[in-house]
Amino acid sequence: MRLVRSELLKVRTVNTWWVFGLIALALWALTTGVNWLQTSVLANPPEGTPTDDAQFNAVREAPNIAANLYTSGQFLGLMIVMLIGVIVVTNEFAHQTATTTFLTNPRRTAVILAKLAAASIVGLLFWLVTTVLNFLVAPLILAAYDVPSQLGESALWQAILLNGLAYLLWAVIGVGFGVLIPSQLASTITTSALYIGGFFAGAILLGVFADRFGDWWNNLQLVIPPLASGLLVTGTDLPGSPPRWSGAAVLIAYALVAGLIGTLITRKRDIS
Amino acid sequence: MSDGEIVVSGLTKRYKTLLAVDGLSFSVRPGRVTGFLGPNGAGKTTTLRMLLNLVTPTSGTATIGGSRYADLRDPLRTVGAVLEASSAHKGRTGINHLRVICAAAGLPKKRADEALELVGLTPAAKRKFKGYSLGMRQRLGIAAAMLGDPRVLILDEPANGLDPEGIRWMRSLLQGLAREGRTVLVSSHLLSEMELLADDVVIIANGKLLRQGPMGEVVTSMTTTAHVRVRTPQADGLTAALSGLPGATVTPSSDNTLLVTGVEAPAIGKAALAAGVELHELTPERPDLEGVFLELTAGKAGIR
Repeated sequence: MRLVRSELLKVRTVNTWWVFGLIALALWALTTGVNWLQTSVLANPPEGTPTDDAQFNAVREAPNIAANLYTSGQFLGLMIVMLIGVIVVTNEFAHQTATTTFLTNPRRTAVILAKLAAASIVGLLFWLVTTVLNFLVAPLILAAYDVPSQLGESALWQAILLNGLAYLLWAVIGVGFGVLIPSQLASTITTSALYIGGFFAGAILLGVFADRFGDWWNNLQLVIPPLASGLLVTGTDLPGSPPRWSGAAVLIAYALVAGLIGTLITRKRDIS
Repeated sequence: MSDGEIVVSGLTKRYKTLLAVDGLSFSVRPGRVTGFLGPNGAGKTTTLRMLLNLVTPTSGTATIGGSRYADLRDPLRTVGAVLEASSAHKGRTGINHLRVICAAAGLPKKRADEALELVGLTPAAKRKFKGYSLGMRQRLGIAAAMLGDPRVLILDEPANGLDPEGIRWMRSLLQGLAREGRTVLVSSHLLSEMELLADDVVIIANGKLLRQGPMGEVVTSMTTTAHVRVRTPQADGLTAALSGLPGATVTPSSDNTLLVTGVEAPAIGKAALAAGVELHELTPERPDLEGVFLELTAGKAGIR
């Protein structure tokens, strides 16, 4: 427990947390603006929009519009949280503090577990703040388009809580990557590129394959982590997409693998 | 609780292409300052890191007070280590750096203030690490090592970057800590400083032990370095006079200077007087640590 306190103190005593907080805030504002526009389209589709697309109609359902708004900022927020996880580890190598850390506690597994816990707590804090902001803004947007607040819908609450899970899991994934790639620069660039690139490349490729070879390809959304986390917050299960629980399962698996590999590597590694 | 003796036994570290430490064995006694010496690349740092469980030995053991570092229940209360000067987050203040360690080691927060006071860094407590000079960084490292009031101290090149006043401060601090019965192991290149500081020395090269023992014994063990320096305008005359003395070896050093081994200064003076040779200098030169070190490590230094 004292290791977790020490790790949290490490985060708190440098500028990183508020710099990342500010970036996350700016990105949240941006995403929420986009979602606002999206809501306006979904609530009042332009003339000529086909009305027989099952997925589009499902997205238009009020609980799902609300879920989108109440989990606004997720895509980029998760990336920030992942990067915090990366930095929690790579800082030790960038600033040569790994020596001190492992001298203070030679039980390396415990140190990595503490880092996983600390990164998860920070991830959940980011989720909490974003969610509070969404609770301030979402009702206003919904009201503007005459959509009821939806706070009675269990689908909405599921989306919000699953969103919290996503924040936690991405922090864990970040820590795992930080151990895999100890160079801070290489690590942050690689993970961001994988995150953003994986999202777009995955979405585009799978879209093309699904068109060509059948809808089955859409199920592969699951294996691409950034798409899997998107599934968690859709509100109700969407037709043509894998069920939400499977997205959670895949993310948990990724986080476990990342955490496990990270711990094993750290146990073996020479610190010099 | 054990006495804090450090025992290194058959310690070996093989990297892919390099045998960094090769069957090294030595021990370090409590209550004394022990200097750990060797040329660059001798394996000093690797040895210290294996002792502290940062690097895994290929074979052999290293124990502190009978336990491996990894098995110590409260490592910071047993061992304090200063391994590299620049090991703190650049954006974190000195006091917070120590508090992070206190939190992880379960030490009270006020130990951070006390340790900072001990090394004279209190005025810079709230300054960020990137604003610290090299000397201040060394002091912060020592403060971190002292947080748990350990009975064993291990320092890798602690004098690096310290000014003369800082070096003197470090010397009296370490000698004081040794007098309190603690074990103090210090690696360094600075041989003259080591001669002032250390009671015992361990000299290694190429990952192997060359000499171990009390400073005086190690220094006098290399008798060939004991000689008398003689300066005279009549070098040839003196050489001729000394050739009559049994055991005397004369080596011309530079203009008018001879290095004489095998006989003591009074005998040289007497021989010179008898031969009517004028002397300008007659200096017995005791071997020093530097001479012994260079002789021991000749041809073993550097890049492997």
